[in-house]
Amino acid sequence: MTCDIPEIDGKKKFFSYLTVQSTILIIIMLLMVLAFVLIKENVFGLGENAENLGVIYKAFMAVSRYEFLPLILIGIPILGSMIQLLYGERSCFRRDRSVIFMTFLTIVLIFMMYPAASTTGLKLKIPEVLGLGLSFHIDMLGYTVLLFSSIIWFLVMVYAHEYMKKERHCTRFFFFIALTYSAVLGTIMSGDLLTMFLFFEIMTFTSYMLVVHGQKEDSYRAGQNYIVMGLIGGFLILAALLLIYFNIGDLSFVSAITRLGALGNLRYWIIGLLVLGFGIKAGMAPVHVWLPRAHPVAPTPASALLSGVMIKVGAFGILRVATSYYFPPKNQVTDYLDPIWKTSENIGAAIIWFGIITMAIGVFYALQQSNMKKMLAYHSVSQMGYIIVGIGIAVYLGYRGAMGYTGAIYHIINHGLFKSLLFMVVGVVYYHTHEYDMYKLGGLWKKLPLTATVCLIACFGISGIPLFNGFISKSILHHGLIEAFEYGDPSFKFAEIMFMIVSAGTVCSFIKLFYYVFIQKTDNTYPDLKRSYTSLDSALATIGLFIVLIGLFPRFLLEHFIIPAMNQTTYDPEFIDHYIGHMKFFTGEDLLSMLYVLIGGALIFVLGTKFNWFHLKIPKWLSLEYLFFLPGYLLMRNTCKILYGDRCPIDDIEMNTVTSRDENIGFIERFVVTLNVLNRRYERSIIQADALIYTVSMLIILVFMFIFNVF
Amino acid sequence: MQIIQAFVDHINFIGAVALFLIGLHTVVTKKNLIKRIMGLNIMGTSIFLFLVAIGNVTGGVPPILQQDPNVNYINPIPSVLILTGIVVVVSMTVYSLSLTIKIYEMYGTINQDELTYLIREEEIHD
Amino acid sequence: MINQLPIINMLIFLATALIIPLLSKRTFKITLIFGFIMLLCVVTSSFFLIFHIAEHGAILYQFGGHDSKIGIEFKVDLMAAIIGLFVVGLTTIIYIYSCGDETEGVEQKEYGRYYILLFIILFAILGIIYTNDLFNAYVFMEIISITTCSIISIKRKKETYAASFRYVMLNEIGSLSYLFGVALIYMVTGYTNIDWVSQSIQSIWQLYSINIIIALGFMIVGIGIKAAIFPFHIWLPDAHASAPSSSSAILSSIIVKVYIVVLIKLLFKVFKLDILNHFHVSTILVIVAATGMIMGSIFAIAQKDIKRMLGYSSISQIGYIVMGIAMFSSLGLASAMFHIISHGLMKAALFLSVGIVIYKKKIKKKNDFEGLAYEMPITMSVFTIAALGMIGIPLTSGFISKLTLGMASLDHRQGYLIIIVVLSGLLNVIYYLPIIISSFLKSEPNTYHPFKIEKVPWPMLTSVILLGIGILTFGIFPNLIMNMITQAAELFGLI
Repeated sequence: MTCDIPEIDGKKKFFSYLTVQSTILIIIMLLMVLAFVLIKENVFGLGENAENLGVIYKAFMAVSRYEFLPLILIGIPILGSMIQLLYGERSCFRRDRSVIFMTFLTIVLIFMMYPAASTTGLKLKIPEVLGLGLSFHIDMLGYTVLLFSSIIWFLVMVYAHEYMKKERHCTRFFFFIALTYSAVLGTIMSGDLLTMFLFFEIMTFTSYMLVVHGQKEDSYRAGQNYIVMGLIGGFLILAALLLIYFNIGDLSFVSAITRLGALGNLRYWIIGLLVLGFGIKAGMAPVHVWLPRAHPVAPTPASALLSGVMIKVGAFGILRVATSYYFPPKNQVTDYLDPIWKTSENIGAAIIWFGIITMAIGVFYALQQSNMKKMLAYHSVSQMGYIIVGIGIAVYLGYRGAMGYTGAIYHIINHGLFKSLLFMVVGVVYYHTHEYDMYKLGGLWKKLPLTATVCLIACFGISGIPLFNGFISKSILHHGLIEAFEYGDPSFKFAEIMFMIVSAGTVCSFIKLFYYVFIQKTDNTYPDLKRSYTSLDSALATIGLFIVLIGLFPRFLLEHFIIPAMNQTTYDPEFIDHYIGHMKFFTGEDLLSMLYVLIGGALIFVLGTKFNWFHLKIPKWLSLEYLFFLPGYLLMRNTCKILYGDRCPIDDIEMNTVTSRDENIGFIERFVVTLNVLNRRYERSIIQADALIYTVSMLIILVFMFIFNVF
Repeated sequence: MQIIQAFVDHINFIGAVALFLIGLHTVVTKKNLIKRIMGLNIMGTSIFLFLVAIGNVTGGVPPILQQDPNVNYINPIPSVLILTGIVVVVSMTVYSLSLTIKIYEMYGTINQDELTYLIREEEIHD
Repeated sequence: MINQLPIINMLIFLATALIIPLLSKRTFKITLIFGFIMLLCVVTSSFFLIFHIAEHGAILYQFGGHDSKIGIEFKVDLMAAIIGLFVVGLTTIIYIYSCGDETEGVEQKEYGRYYILLFIILFAILGIIYTNDLFNAYVFMEIISITTCSIISIKRKKETYAASFRYVMLNEIGSLSYLFGVALIYMVTGYTNIDWVSQSIQSIWQLYSINIIIALGFMIVGIGIKAAIFPFHIWLPDAHASAPSSSSAILSSIIVKVYIVVLIKLLFKVFKLDILNHFHVSTILVIVAATGMIMGSIFAIAQKDIKRMLGYSSISQIGYIVMGIAMFSSLGLASAMFHIISHGLMKAALFLSVGIVIYKKKIKKKNDFEGLAYEMPITMSVFTIAALGMIGIPLTSGFISKLTLGMASLDHRQGYLIIIVVLSGLLNVIYYLPIIISSFLKSEPNTYHPFKIEKVPWPMLTSVILLGIGILTFGIFPNLIMNMITQAAELFGLI
């Protein structure tokens, strides 16, 4: 069922009317952002005169403080999903319009939440649900992530309307995207670990349907990997939840370090479980393996959202847990040498190393890919490594960790913007050419000039060119690493060197992407590419605009979002004021290090194309999964021999499945086949030996109790 | 000497336990369905014997009221319990035997091993 | 009057079972409606019982006015009332289902016999829950045993006979073990009434420790066979494979749980905590339960027939319940009771929805579920909800029982049991998730209407929808019953 532009007077309209409507919505949103900026920056004295608006102002404040706002915010996408289900395939304009409107409404509501969130935080407790009660708490950290998630989501929805015209089962797709949206909002707004766990699980299930949307063989495989790892992460968080609830009694995100400190080694287990659990979702190595498999098979809007928003939720989870439970309350500590920071030091060091490994693995694999989406997926892993390093610094340096915190949040925002933009660009290229392999494309800048410009902006952003937003967050993270190395352990010098190398690798990779896709000389002339302006382009242009604006005016985000967030956590106020409040962004040394990175990247690119470094084949035995599961594989392969000796009765198909070296057959399949073999051998004999089992167990139990009686 | 004395004193209980073990042995090792049912019956009977032996009082008379006030009655309650028990075991035996007849009609054998083999054959062909 | 209410409930069931043959000349519908009305009466009276007992304490009823030392006594305390309401309520829902099904494969003239057996089972279940006498429990146990075996093998098909023979044999061994234990206890104490036995055992157990050991061992193993605890579970999968769906649901959700209630009464009212801790019964039960949780799932993964798979899944979940009991704390007991109710709902939902699929499509292997959700959306949605509950996703009652079980195990200072709970949840994922995914995704729909009502008899659909709503309600608002369960668990006097 296609959603073609209706013909009027025998000619197709140049802009479909939904494009016009969504462009109008985008403009309204930009105006709201502008108004927000103007009021906060007190341009034209608007800030002070706001109160003179009287009734409107009072109504606005009343709505903002309304208690049940979180529930309404979660309910709006669910309502939108129901409405669009009613429209179904019959009228795709109305269906998509309802989804886009619904996302827009959430942005409006989130803007209205700002006064309450910035002053006291919005709290809501619902007792008796799920046994322990749910609670929602929106402070500035959550508000920042919430606002940018919703803006990115809105723009991707606008993009998705046009993109999904070439796909099938759109109704199901939009239904599950809306449900995922409400789950993501719920996770960010949650005030205790149980609520976060609830929405996390819902998010895993609904986003599974997005990954598996194509319904092909590799979609199912990727989807199975995704959901099993997601559920494993969920169970790890559940175990940590049980430990916390039992030992501390209260799951809300308030400081618990005194009681945690009394637990001894258990506190490291708890945070380890939580970091691993959220890290699976965040794409942290070594459990990042689902990311590169899930992204190429999912439709592009879903990939953009998966990479742009959902993995950030994982990092947000780590940040929230580490800075709430493991930091002392605000008024109890005034010094960075207080021994209460010992716990967070150890944890932070581990997280920094995980982050460095993630960055390195991501970039290395990304350089080897030719499929554009897989490359971008590995880059997501690598950039999440940056964010995790930032979180690690924030926790490691304890009282003085504000720089890492700033870098992490800033990079969450920035990465969301430019990664979703990159995915959308790749989606536009696929939409027009049906090709994902970057070596087969070329010379597209003539046919798709807007896309090429926007892609250039995004590549500059992710590489960290000055005047674009990546530069800001990468320099902050760089400063943070230097601080970790100065104030903490000298071994972080190595971490800083890795940081520079990885940044160079990122630059190289994006030079590669842009060159091969847009500039490379090729014989294809793409005769059927028509230039048209649809909602695809408006969404692309808006995000590009955001990237440039944040790059030019970095201080705005810092002052009005990040510093208030840090003021609500336990960081040294003088440190915040001195180092971050008065941060200079375009210092000489930052620009110089950026220049080194750029030169390094260009060098790697030139050498790489000459010596063909970009097509390395990694030997099978080095792949992560193989190493991790090797003992299991060996056991399963030899189970037959162990159990039966020579009379192994399983047939060829199963033997091949268990012992084959085909990487497509995952761990679970081999496990199931081994169990089939075991079952066939033993189940009948167990059933036949019923009375024997009775006798033997009776004897064992009696002897057991007798022994305990005598001793 | 004392062991033999204790053995003779408690001969009833030891006999009951021995019967139980014989019955259990029959159920565990024999393959014929009817022999297994018989084994179950023997196990049941052994427990009834045990119960009756509990109620026994040396030198007691059956629990019917007599004129003599100094006489010891044996405990009547276990007898009541085993009456109920016997009814239960009988009904269970009847049920099992009717099942055995049906199995013989359907499969033509009442040997447990062959039965399992035949059932497995059917499953594979299913 | 309200003191007579338990007995009146039992008598209603017995009377219904006796009246049904008299109605066999009329149309079958009259029998069904009559049975349904009787069930509803008993459900209402159970409600009253619960509220009355929660205020006033346990009801004691002596049969024939004989003193409890020599007569039979019924003691209805809060736990018995809750489980009683659960059993009767769940049976009503399964009864509604079986009205629509014509219990696949059962011949026309057998319908009446099916319902007679059902009511006798209910009569005996209420008896075994309410009774305060060990030997009386044996009698009711045997009644349940024979009638359940008949209700499973009511299809005159080839494979039912061998399965039910094994069932009868194993249950008989179990009952005889239990009887042996009762005989030993009688030998030591001279009573069979639970209150009197516990009083006298507390004072003399050190003298007769051999007797108590043998009695305890035999009784636990005997009840373990009937409750399908792990090494003794052998009869359960075969019995499920050949039975009609409503009987499978009754067997797996209700009958097995009743024996666990008997085990609870035995452990905590007869042998109280001193004896049990001295003989380290807790360790035995924990080992058995943990092994059951893992091995049940491992066997379930390898099954092809879906009903056998659900049977092995039951064994794994019963391991959860026994682990809750083995904690020997009131939190553990409360989590075990909550899981009895929640697993009952979930397993019944699973069996009944599989029953609808078998009725409509005549398939039995789990690989044949492809694309089913497009033809039977409601059934597969309820199946999904129940399967997610088994895995332990929040918003279903299975999650709450996992949560409380985890907390009870931490309370007992055995935190490593959380690992087993989590691992068992993961194993559940491996065999439930492929069915759900293949049913929703694997085939192309021609037309897809989201809210189409499938062409299945309405009683079957209603019962399945009721169960799904029940699972979700208890998942979101567990405190509706958790408060009462905690109150009942504390009455046992554990820490």
